[in-house]
Amino acid sequence: MSDIVVDARGLEPPQPFEMVMEALADLGPGGRFTVLIDRMPWPLFRILDRDGYKYEHTIRDDGVVVIGITAP
Amino acid sequence: MKPTGSVLGYDSAPPISAPLRFFLSAPLFGIVAGVLLVFAPSLLESRWTPGALSITHLLTVGFMLMVMVGALFQVLPVVCGAAIPAVRLTATVVHVLIVGGALALAGGLLLMKPAVLMTAATLLGTGFAAFLFAAMIALLHAPAARGSQRDLRLALIGLGVAVMLGLALSLTLAKGLALPLLTMLELHVGWALLGGTGILLAATSWIVVPMFQITPPYPATLTRYWASLCILALTIWSVATVFDWSAAKTALSWSLVGFAAIFLIATLTLMRQTRRNVPDASFRSFRLGIWSLLGGLACLLATGFSDHPSLPVLTGVLVMYGGFVSIIQGMLYKIVPFLAWLNLTQSGIKAPNVKQLQPEAEARRQLMVHGLALAVLIVAVALGNLGMVRIAGLLVMLEFAWLASNMLGVIRAYRRARTGTTTTLGPGQTA
Repeated sequence: MSDIVVDARGLEPPQPFEMVMEALADLGPGGRFTVLIDRMPWPLFRILDRDGYKYEHTIRDDGVVVIGITAP
Repeated sequence: MKPTGSVLGYDSAPPISAPLRFFLSAPLFGIVAGVLLVFAPSLLESRWTPGALSITHLLTVGFMLMVMVGALFQVLPVVCGAAIPAVRLTATVVHVLIVGGALALAGGLLLMKPAVLMTAATLLGTGFAAFLFAAMIALLHAPAARGSQRDLRLALIGLGVAVMLGLALSLTLAKGLALPLLTMLELHVGWALLGGTGILLAATSWIVVPMFQITPPYPATLTRYWASLCILALTIWSVATVFDWSAAKTALSWSLVGFAAIFLIATLTLMRQTRRNVPDASFRSFRLGIWSLLGGLACLLATGFSDHPSLPVLTGVLVMYGGFVSIIQGMLYKIVPFLAWLNLTQSGIKAPNVKQLQPEAEARRQLMVHGLALAVLIVAVALGNLGMVRIAGLLVMLEFAWLASNMLGVIRAYRRARTGTTTTLGPGQTA
């Protein structure tokens, strides 16, 4: 698990999306961070797919989605 | 490792035109409903007048169903990861058929012309079947169903039953089929309002109320069982209605009202716990809709104890116009700017803030006119005052025109951002 955590819980769309995009912009090649979010962000996955990021997710018992994102 | 079901290609994201064509067409039906109220105010004297039936379907099919179908073109891929096949073609075909069908239905009911009603049944039946087929394919290929996804499927089934009953009613009116008209009508109303619209509202609310109104999540027991139990109770109620088991039917009718009330009260309770400092226009409209639906349920219960002729009409006004239309308008003010923002961002274009795309003040003013129109309409129906019905009609025309204008404003801002941006962002760069 990476040290950088973007906590996007409890925010109105599109703020979580914007926070993740800002974190992506700061990420160097091979860099990694974790996102905590209230729901499965399908539109974000499309952008990550398009731009070649690697990612994986788990859903915690409290429903929070934890996504690990790694830059190409 | 990618999450299961995240294999949606970027190209499978719905084009913005798919939902928007439905959203932009919907207010036009509201404007026509307002025109009818202005020029034929006596049509609200009973819910059975051709004019009242016409207005009801201008709002339920022309506005509500239109927006719901459009929203599902966006909700299924964005929320459920379910990509609608051949989305541009499907949206075009479904839109044309539903617009044509809604116009024919409103006209056919107003004029009681069998040929027009037959046209409406054909267009709406084909259009909705095409949509249902595409949506079911999308959901079958989506990741495993969780709360909202499962309930969206149930809502589609509920809407399907309501549409089929509506088609049977149209054929009965147009061709004189030997079907029990009043029983069919009762079933049609029950399935359309609770089985279709009500469950769709709940399935959407499980997601959008916590998401957009910044509230805690709904209780897990409610999201897990509510929609399934509603469908079960509706099915048993339908059997009791068909076979005229009056005691069972009465008990089940009360249980359906109880189910609706549980969802509405749960939603109000959550909205009281919002972390918003100041409720925005969308929040207020959503709340007005929930209160109006509760008022509609109270009127519905009152019809069991009173024969006052205005009660059934008042129930319809509170449930459809005050309830569902208010909630849908509130949702549109969240969905349309978000859609524009998402589409720009996915295209690598720096998107304006959603509040710049849809200024809050414009939404608030339009929704104030909507609230005023509702208040005037309620008083007009309660008093049976034709002059006030005409005033309400003018306000209804104004509010729907304003809604259309506000949505067009978002599209203008979207186009400005698309055409005015000189730098597009590459991989890894962000807005």
